[in-house]
Amino acid sequence: MSGGRPGWGRQLRALLLKDLRLELRTRDTLVAMVLFSVVAMMIFQFAVGSRGDDLTDVAGGILWATLALTAVLGVGRSWVPEREQRVLDGILGAPVPRDILLVAKACAIYAYLLAVEVVAVPLMALFFIRDPDPADLGLVAIVCLLANLGISILGSLLAVLALFARARELLLPVLFLPSMLPVVIAAAGATHSVTGGTNDLADYRGYCLFLGVYAVIFGLVAYATYEHVFDD
Amino acid sequence: MIDARPARRLAWTGAVTAALLALATFGVFFVAPEDSDQGIIQKIFYFHVAIAIVSLIAFAVSCVTGVLYLRTRQERHDEVSAICIGIGMGFSALVVVTGSIWAKASWGTWWVWTDPRLVTFVIVILLYAAYFVLRSSAEGERRFRYSAVYAIAAFASVPLSFYSVRVARSFVHPVVFTQSGANMPDSMLIWFAVSLVAMLGVFLTLLQLELIQRRADRALRRVKMRLEASS
Repeated sequence: MSGGRPGWGRQLRALLLKDLRLELRTRDTLVAMVLFSVVAMMIFQFAVGSRGDDLTDVAGGILWATLALTAVLGVGRSWVPEREQRVLDGILGAPVPRDILLVAKACAIYAYLLAVEVVAVPLMALFFIRDPDPADLGLVAIVCLLANLGISILGSLLAVLALFARARELLLPVLFLPSMLPVVIAAAGATHSVTGGTNDLADYRGYCLFLGVYAVIFGLVAYATYEHVFDD
Repeated sequence: MIDARPARRLAWTGAVTAALLALATFGVFFVAPEDSDQGIIQKIFYFHVAIAIVSLIAFAVSCVTGVLYLRTRQERHDEVSAICIGIGMGFSALVVVTGSIWAKASWGTWWVWTDPRLVTFVIVILLYAAYFVLRSSAEGERRFRYSAVYAIAAFASVPLSFYSVRVARSFVHPVVFTQSGANMPDSMLIWFAVSLVAMLGVFLTLLQLELIQRRADRALRRVKMRLEASS
């Protein structure tokens, strides 16, 4: 039918491109996230290590603690342009299905996290791993791709809950970080199993499977509840 | 007018629960055989595991009533969901305390980070603590709706706690219930079942008590408003 409502894919693409274009123009979120991740890793280095000790054992933990905290920044900023410039009223008034709104936001958060990881993973190898192996870093990249799924799905859902609440800046970390803990545990475990010197691929696969299951479970939760997070 | 039937139901549930608790305590300490490996400290298992199961049941009820609220938008479902999470949190705190005592006696340390089940239980407590922060941050109908969505999302983390046991390999937690059945003799299992039913009774008693208290509170407020309006 010509002139009808654009399809699911086109609407998603339009919303996602709006977010990414806005970010590329202002670079508000990405620059802050990358800088924050570098500073956080430095802080962890000083908090955990001393006098040049080998930190290979804790590298995965430092990376994922850093990325979890950085994700809070990204998720917290994800709805800010809509709120500040009242774009949200327009979007909610438009006949855009609510699931597309959430999926577009999850995709944007996924892209921001990926951009941060492009910087943070090599830095982790440089700072904390003695003799890093490029093949191991490839396996860490797979962990990032899987962990980001769960983080972005859950983040986009919880960010809407915090969006309309009082003290939203304080509320979001309190809601988001406990839900993220299983991801941090599994992602740090998977990273450690390939960078920690043991190269335990059975453990690695187990943790990756966990990350996949986590993403699927919270994907189902988001699918079941998305209609209720936006006001009618 | 306050309905007296819930109060009568509560009295019955409370009395049966008290009797069951007394029976469970007697059976666990005087009838059930002592564990040859761990001795008297193993008795804590009957309460620790029963409390853990009931806390998960409370969270499951909060999830189901959360779903019911989203489908029907009836406030009573939200009320039950919030109360169940409060009770579940209290039970979870007891699980951590009893688990910690058991860990000290069995493994010589109050806390074991290498056991994913203990760790995940703490994650579940943190998750549900955030529920109350969310609840106090939202207003009106949005509070009920968001609480319901969050209760569902938080409950999704519960299967992850079981899954994590299978993923991580280095765990020290004794696995009592396996796929092939309970890993204990019948003389222990029966007292565990009594203990579990008693804990379920405690949960139901607390739930009814809290519901009655909230309803009485609402009735009192209505009376106050009427008095203020007439004066």
